Amino acid sequence: MCRGGRMFAPTKTWRRWHRRVNIMQKRYAICSALAASALPALVMSKGHRIEEIPELPLVVEDKVEGYKKTKEAVLLLKKLKAWNDIKKVYASQRMRAGKGKMRNRRRIQRRGPCIIYNEDNGIIRAFRNIPGITLLNVNKLNLLRLAPGGHVGRFCIWTESAFRKLDDLYGTWRKAATLKSDYNLPMHKMTNTDIGRIMRSQEIQKALRAPKKKIQRRVLKKNPLKNLRIMIKLNPYAKTMRRNTILRHAQNHKLKEEKKAKARAKLADKAPAAPKAEPAAKKAKTAKAAKPAAKAKAEA
Amino acid sequence: MGTGAPCRCVLFAYLSSGATMADKEAKKVPSVPESLLKKRQAYAVMKAKRQKKILAIKKYRKAQRKLIYARAQAYHKEYRHMYRQEIRMARMARKAGNYYVPAEPKLAFVIRIRGTNGVSPKVRKVLQLLRLRQIFNGTFVKLNKASINMLRIVEPYIAWGYPNLKSVHELIYKRGYGKINKQRIALTDNRLIQKRLGKLGIICMEDVIHEIYTVGKNFKVVNNFLWPFKLSSPRGGMKKKTIHFVEGGDAGNREDQINRLIRRMN
Repeated sequence: MCRGGRMFAPTKTWRRWHRRVNIMQKRYAICSALAASALPALVMSKGHRIEEIPELPLVVEDKVEGYKKTKEAVLLLKKLKAWNDIKKVYASQRMRAGKGKMRNRRRIQRRGPCIIYNEDNGIIRAFRNIPGITLLNVNKLNLLRLAPGGHVGRFCIWTESAFRKLDDLYGTWRKAATLKSDYNLPMHKMTNTDIGRIMRSQEIQKALRAPKKKIQRRVLKKNPLKNLRIMIKLNPYAKTMRRNTILRHAQNHKLKEEKKAKARAKLADKAPAAPKAEPAAKKAKTAKAAKPAAKAKAEA
Repeated sequence: MGTGAPCRCVLFAYLSSGATMADKEAKKVPSVPESLLKKRQAYAVMKAKRQKKILAIKKYRKAQRKLIYARAQAYHKEYRHMYRQEIRMARMARKAGNYYVPAEPKLAFVIRIRGTNGVSPKVRKVLQLLRLRQIFNGTFVKLNKASINMLRIVEPYIAWGYPNLKSVHELIYKRGYGKINKQRIALTDNRLIQKRLGKLGIICMEDVIHEIYTVGKNFKVVNNFLWPFKLSSPRGGMKKKTIHFVEGGDAGNREDQINRLIRRMN
């Protein structure tokens, strides 16, 4: 037997499904989407294959609105080099991942080009069977078709009269829209968007300091007590000190040797008086050696 | 080429910006845009200035080098004088049948010999004030009534004593790092010292050593500039760090014997 009870917060059909958006915001969005559809970089980044099309925005003659056969439509797309986009749609036809499969949303595919027309003389019926194509009437532009998925830059193919109507629909900054009661295009955030040119201008370059091209990297610390060059770098006097100690050592060594030689000579001469001379000579030697050694200690 | 030249001139007239029609016939090269001319002028000016600056810096560096040499020489003489002075004073006193009591030492080197676990709060705070946050960290400390009492509080945690010139010299050269911009930077160049302590008249390692050894007026600044020394554990071992030096251990004041410990830890 199943467990009893009812679900938490049972879903109701009178959930608020719709949202209202300000008209100005809606129009702003459509203007932004149309503007983005005219920039090749944005359209390419949306994924449309527009490498070979003649021009962006792509405008075609009004005769296209009179096409009756899909064959004609396909030929047009091929001549415009837009067929690559359709091929991409074919390649993207696949099964949906997830439970949508059993909820009547089994197959999915990419969006292709969007054809925007002014008057339907058969164009809808010609183009509608080509996968990926959406048809839009220019008087009723749909943001959900111009920016599918919320990302701007859909590849749009305009007919001539549709393209000409845009001025009346949205105005230019010089004149307001005639087909809308009180609307003009939104103001730019930046009037001069060529940032490279701005940065290279005299006004900005004069105020900059000179570029620091030299990269300062970490210096490896070497031990100055072992490495003479590093010691001299830090203390130039160390060179003379080292030199003096070496000379002094050499001198002391020489003196010692001389003393030894003398003592040996004396030994050789006076054999019986040797024990007395030796300790005397030894004491003199150690006294002399102790003084320079003490000096060296003081300097170290 | 006769037919070609007029064609090319027309083409250039169409392409190039701000060029007159008159010199179109004569010039074959497109005119230089004004921004590029300005850039070239500015670059030439900067280059001249840079050359002058380089020469000035070179001269200055040479002079500094001479100055450092002279100072190091003077310090060498001074240390020798100090050393002989003590000996001479003692001898004079003995000759007169008197006793020479040398001045109490002004400088101490303090090494932390115990770890960070289980330290009582007062001791912990004093060790932080002395910048001894890690075992076998060492710092120089100026000795006065206040600091001696501080050392007494943390006696079981430190080994300290009076360093001699060789200890100070070796510590600063081998393990000397400066606090530059709150970072621990190795003292590989006198310029690092000069930048930071130049306004006190300390421009090289020898100046730093002199200020530390003969506890000078700017001892505090110079000592704070030196990052606490990170010493190795003593080669050959310690005796017994839990009891005082006088009892045969390692803690506390060991006066001159600190130098032997420094030799083993440096």
